[in-house]
Amino acid sequence: MIENYFKIAWRNIIRRRGYSVINIAGLSVGIAACLLIFVVIKYELSFDTFQPGYKNIYHLVTRINQSDDVTYNPGVVAPASEALRLDFPQAKVAALEANYGSQLSVPANNSNAGSDKKFTENLGVVFIEPQFFDIFKWTWLDGQPSVLNEPDMVVLDKSTATKYFGDWKNAMGKILKMDNLLTLKVAGIVDDAPNNSDFPLKIMVSYISWKEHPRDYNYVYNWHATNSAHEVYLQLPANTSISKMDVQLKSFSVKHFDNQNAIIRTLFLQPLAALHFDTRFSNTLGDHLTSMATLRTLSFIGLLIIIMAAINFINLSTAQSVGRSKEVGIRKVLGSNRSQLIIQVIGETTIIVGGAVILAVIIAKAALPYLINIANVPQDIGIFNLGCLLFLIGIAISVILLSGLYPALIISGFKPVLALKNKITAASVGGIPLRRTLVVAQFAISQLLIIGTIVAVNQMDYVNKADLGFNKDAILIIPGYTDSISLQKMNGFKQQLLQNSQVKAVSFISDPPSSENGWGTNFNFNNSIKDRDFTAFLKLADADYFKTFGLKFVAGKSYDVSDTMRQAVVNETMMHKLGVIHPQDMIGKTIRIGGLSWSTITGVVADFKTTSLREAIRPIIIFPRKTYEAEAAIKIQTHDLKGTVAAIQKLWEGTYPEYAYNAYFLDDTIAKFYQQENQLALVYKIFAGIAIFISCLGLYGLVSFMAVQRTKEVGIRKVLGASVSSIVYLFSKEFAILILISFVIAVPVAWYIMASWLRNFVYRIHLSPWVFISAIIISIVIAWLTVGYKAIKAALANPVKSLRSE
Amino acid sequence: MLSLQHISKYYQNGGNKNFVINDISLDIDEGEFVSIMGPSGSGKSTLLNIIGMLDEPTDGYHYFVNEAVHQLKDKQRSALYKKYIGFVFQAYHLIDELTVYENIETPLIYQDFKGAERKAMVADMLDRFQIVGKKDLFPAQLSGGQQQLVGIARALIAKPKLLLADEPTGNLNSKQGEEIMELFRKLNKEDGVTIIQVTHSEKNAEYGSRIINLLDGRIESSKKF
Ligand SMILES: Nc1ncnc2c1ncn2[C@@H]1O[C@H](COP(=O)(O)OP(=O)(O)OP(=O)(O)O)[C@@H](O)[C@H]1O
Ligand SMILES: [Mg+2]
Repeated sequence: MIENYFKIAWRNIIRRRGYSVINIAGLSVGIAACLLIFVVIKYELSFDTFQPGYKNIYHLVTRINQSDDVTYNPGVVAPASEALRLDFPQAKVAALEANYGSQLSVPANNSNAGSDKKFTENLGVVFIEPQFFDIFKWTWLDGQPSVLNEPDMVVLDKSTATKYFGDWKNAMGKILKMDNLLTLKVAGIVDDAPNNSDFPLKIMVSYISWKEHPRDYNYVYNWHATNSAHEVYLQLPANTSISKMDVQLKSFSVKHFDNQNAIIRTLFLQPLAALHFDTRFSNTLGDHLTSMATLRTLSFIGLLIIIMAAINFINLSTAQSVGRSKEVGIRKVLGSNRSQLIIQVIGETTIIVGGAVILAVIIAKAALPYLINIANVPQDIGIFNLGCLLFLIGIAISVILLSGLYPALIISGFKPVLALKNKITAASVGGIPLRRTLVVAQFAISQLLIIGTIVAVNQMDYVNKADLGFNKDAILIIPGYTDSISLQKMNGFKQQLLQNSQVKAVSFISDPPSSENGWGTNFNFNNSIKDRDFTAFLKLADADYFKTFGLKFVAGKSYDVSDTMRQAVVNETMMHKLGVIHPQDMIGKTIRIGGLSWSTITGVVADFKTTSLREAIRPIIIFPRKTYEAEAAIKIQTHDLKGTVAAIQKLWEGTYPEYAYNAYFLDDTIAKFYQQENQLALVYKIFAGIAIFISCLGLYGLVSFMAVQRTKEVGIRKVLGASVSSIVYLFSKEFAILILISFVIAVPVAWYIMASWLRNFVYRIHLSPWVFISAIIISIVIAWLTVGYKAIKAALANPVKSLRSE
Repeated sequence: MLSLQHISKYYQNGGNKNFVINDISLDIDEGEFVSIMGPSGSGKSTLLNIIGMLDEPTDGYHYFVNEAVHQLKDKQRSALYKKYIGFVFQAYHLIDELTVYENIETPLIYQDFKGAERKAMVADMLDRFQIVGKKDLFPAQLSGGQQQLVGIARALIAKPKLLLADEPTGNLNSKQGEEIMELFRKLNKEDGVTIIQVTHSEKNAEYGSRIINLLDGRIESSKKF
């Protein structure tokens, strides 16, 4: 019997080729899109879950309350780990210090540093306690965690060891230099961390080596300096209550921190399971965090797409069911009961959905290599695994039920006598209001995505073109080093650069005006010894900073050339926060940070964007301090950029032979601030395209069907003298009304979603009515292009012919 | 075999009742061959559909093989129908997507016959109607007479006790019509199948053992031979 159904289903599909193609095309594109979204979400949700007992592992983090401002810091003060071991003996505690950007070199056989093999590692370089491996399971290929008890020991992961030494098996016992400051011995090899780990540790130096080089790696052992790179992990017994633990940590914080000056620091636990999604903490040991909001948006879009595809299906099958009334009538007369007819229709749906799933897998497979453009997935992510299989089965079953059941109930409910008399009409299947509702739903979804696209693209355009308050173009940044030898070479290097006529200005800086690192501190103003109640952010640079980046002074001028902090410049935000109205009044006032001596303010610069446009402009103090000015910022002429950069590289490599050259252009890094948002804008574009495609397919199918149904009506109207345009109008009118209704539904939803997305940005576009108006214009144009062809064809058909065929 | 008592069917038209069947009482015995005649719109098809349980009367009592049809639930009614009744239509009503073989086989599928059994029964039917050579053709590839043969073969495949035919020869030429009528007579005489047919042709009506004339939903006359 089943076999018989499938045979008939297959013939039906072949006979109604056009509809089948539309159904399968729409559905397979929809399923493929959902599958890819599923792959991304599954990957993101899998982060760190491979760690055995990951539910009992916690990251200790710091909350800093300062007047009414709360900030979160992923790091904790250095003495915390020892104190925790004393106060919480039940916990396993491990600390690490992350190093963002280190140079590792394999010494050449001769003693010439210039011929060392040099590598720059931006991620995965840590000073780490051996206890870390009591908490986290790692596969040790050689050596064991206890080697990290000794100073100057390093453990490498397999691929790094292979990269440095040709074969990881040769690496044990070899020497590795770090930043030309440490000489390390390779004492262990571990397997690479999986892709879905937030701990892609590559170079693990014993923690004690950090303590032994306090100046070089900024090791501070006190309860004041919260260092965002110093992270502490805990494993707690399985039955521990986290809320109780946080209460205990609160009193622990009160006991140890010297919480004066209105800055209150509290340690609390961030579960490992939440770490990957907690975007309150901006930096991570891995390459990205993913906000749950992003994953929710993606799932929501996936759901919308699959609903749209299912809607096509329902629309076309109920429309077609009219044409099937005779067959159904006969079957009933021949003794078929309702359930058998339902099974038959579901069977046909199953075949179409099955075909669509197979096609979807092919589409998804083809699109997979492009997935890395819209998501942070590894290159080798696959779709042939159990999870995807179950997902596809789940999708297939829900689509079959969603889109097969309704037509099945309609068709099987036909009264045989009416069906045989061909008295079943589109109206009598009760489908028209439903079909209109579904078309409205489809258009509402399309318009939602179109509006999303317009807003996201406009905002990103605004962000990319925004006036940052300084000139970011053609500025080459070369990260350098501040060991004593490098510092001595700085001035000579600068003078040589300036001899190149293509170089307009050079400044040694801690970081550029817009930068994601923020070095914040408490400070004193105007000779008052009381700390101000907000954090000042620091930028350290020589006196050419303002010229190099084109910063404008609203009062005063730059500080004098100096290697230490004696004078400083502040920005307008700083001035406003200090309650000073006239910039001129700032000149000559004094300011003091940390344990340094008082400095005089020599100028106020016009505000520039200090971080990404997501955040408000920070209060900034700019001052010179040579030992922190590691990066060279070089402003160059734009013609012959390549030649100039090559000349600069040659000069740099000649000056600092012991270091690797890693220059980049400032505008590239600024663009990277918005990677997630740019990806989201791209996601909107792609999925709006898919939504439009699917809804057009559905519309086209529906209109073709209508055209067939109304052939006779159109024929009669034409015989009676109707013009072509009046008939085209007849076809278009209904869809225009439906689009208008869907617009009314889509606008508030889109407004709500996009307004809340825009709130991620302090600096943002306004949601103007034009965004919405263009969405409806786009919808109408696209719908008309779809409907118009069929409508015109129907209108132009020879009436005599269409009447005769009846 | 069946008995209709005070059967009426009407459609509400504004305040009026439009009677299609107006208080008809009728008994038909097993083995009869009844022809129903009457002008267009007199309610012949409606009556046949009521007898065949495809349509429900608005009023009256309907007994079929001693079951009170008017009291049965849908399911029981269709079980009764499946077991006893075969239908033949003027417009053949073959399923266009199925071959001749499959069209004839379909009722057996709905009556849960096993595959091997179905094969034998369909082969037997094809033989009897001499359409073995056409078994893999689709309805559109057959002439009208051939399609009606298939329609009758399909109606008879499950060995019904009652064959209902609504103008079975209406779309055929007179020679083809005659052949079908001969077939009906043979079925009635040799296999004892009760037949009720609707026809416009006096000549075809005379194949029956009783002729009922309808007018405006009433039995105008009824004569037995
Ligand atoms: N749904 C309906 N609503 C109103 N009247 C109906 C409906 N269906 C059928 N009728 C009426 O019932 C009457 C009988 O119809 P029926 O099909 O039984 O006639 P008939 O005798 O078979 O005619 P013909 O010889 O043309 O086939 C007709 O007058 C028709 O108009
Ligand atoms: Mg009739």
